[in-house]
Amino acid sequence: MVSILLAFITGLTTGGLSCLAVQGGLLASSLAGQIEQSVQNLPAGPAGKKKHRPAQSAPRPALALPILVFLAAKIVAYTLLGALLGFAGQMFQLSPLTRAALQIGIGIFMLGTALRMLNVHPIFRYFAIEPPAFIRRRLRKTASGADGSNLLTPAFLGLLTVLIPCGVTQAMLAAALSTASPLSGAAMMAAFTLGTSPVFFAVAYFTTRLGARLEKHFMRFVAVVILILAIFTVDTGVALAGSPVSLTRALSGIFAVPAAQTALDQAPAQTASGEDIITINVLNTAYSPDVIHAKAGVPLKLRLVTNDVRSCSRAFVIPALDVQRLLDATGEAVVDIPPQEKGAQIPFSCSMGMYGGIIIFDL
Amino acid sequence: MTTRIVFKIAGMECPNCAMTLESLEDKLPGVQRAEASYHKAQMVVEFDEDRVSEAQIRAAIQKLGYEAQ
Repeated sequence: MVSILLAFITGLTTGGLSCLAVQGGLLASSLAGQIEQSVQNLPAGPAGKKKHRPAQSAPRPALALPILVFLAAKIVAYTLLGALLGFAGQMFQLSPLTRAALQIGIGIFMLGTALRMLNVHPIFRYFAIEPPAFIRRRLRKTASGADGSNLLTPAFLGLLTVLIPCGVTQAMLAAALSTASPLSGAAMMAAFTLGTSPVFFAVAYFTTRLGARLEKHFMRFVAVVILILAIFTVDTGVALAGSPVSLTRALSGIFAVPAAQTALDQAPAQTASGEDIITINVLNTAYSPDVIHAKAGVPLKLRLVTNDVRSCSRAFVIPALDVQRLLDATGEAVVDIPPQEKGAQIPFSCSMGMYGGIIIFDL
Repeated sequence: MTTRIVFKIAGMECPNCAMTLESLEDKLPGVQRAEASYHKAQMVVEFDEDRVSEAQIRAAIQKLGYEAQ
């Protein structure tokens, strides 16, 4: 439930902005027919580039329905895609390292997208997905051939947004894949796409000439947001790959909550057979303790305790040992760790690389 | 007679601009094929010289908000 809420909030904030940068043109195209019917003698301007001008001139009530149809079609398309990815995730269990590589790849793509939007170098243009000429032609004909009463065009173009997912959407698609459940994948994508909808609607419906002038600045702002997100996406990928050094980990060290710090002093207990046993409380936003000192040369049992946990911290991974465990929302699970050499450091994290910790074998 | 010219285009900001430029195919009589690429920042135009001139095509591109170099 928490991850679905997070998906919605991501959509509402960053997702809406970055997707608008990529898919806004399609929305504008879908409105073209409507606008041309509503406004006579409209200059034959481009659908995408000058999208604010016609939106301003057209009687606004006439635009609400096609925008809503476009967005509804988009939600349907992404929900189906989420279900499909959840199903694929169920079929092919991704290893933590594969997921890490996927996450880093997505982060690099987002980085390239941000640099493209900031016009840093023409090479970054290749980070934009350009539909093939025949699809562009088909889109153009559909958009220009539509009359105002035909809602099939916005519906069709809304469905086609799956062909041009933005950076944040791609990260969310990867998350849907990792849910390994068609239902959860569909719910996650539906929540995310629903979250992006208010921004799309607001921009299409309320934009003014001032908005058109400010578009460049707005897009720069979006680019900077994507850039920051990209850095965190790459960082979570790095954490998921098992790197003991990551930005998120460094920040959580700076802002560590006192409860987690006091727990650091917890000494490992011993089982009857001489194995060390350490309890980790799995919380919605952290593992406590997150830095664990353990004895080298003896087997270690990690006792993972959950109590109404609904976030991705339930999906516990230790990349170095290829351990993946989906914990119950409430309950206990034990992970066995074979004896390690003195000085060994083994990071663990959630399957998204968002929350994590490290076991240091220095006792 | 069909002529083919590759225009370098300035001012394309996203892949959607390619679609916008390609609308010349519908709007300018004599243009037989217009294929733009955001990646390469260019547009290939095939046109009938008897019906439309290169200057007219450049002017149409400019009217759309881009510059043919």
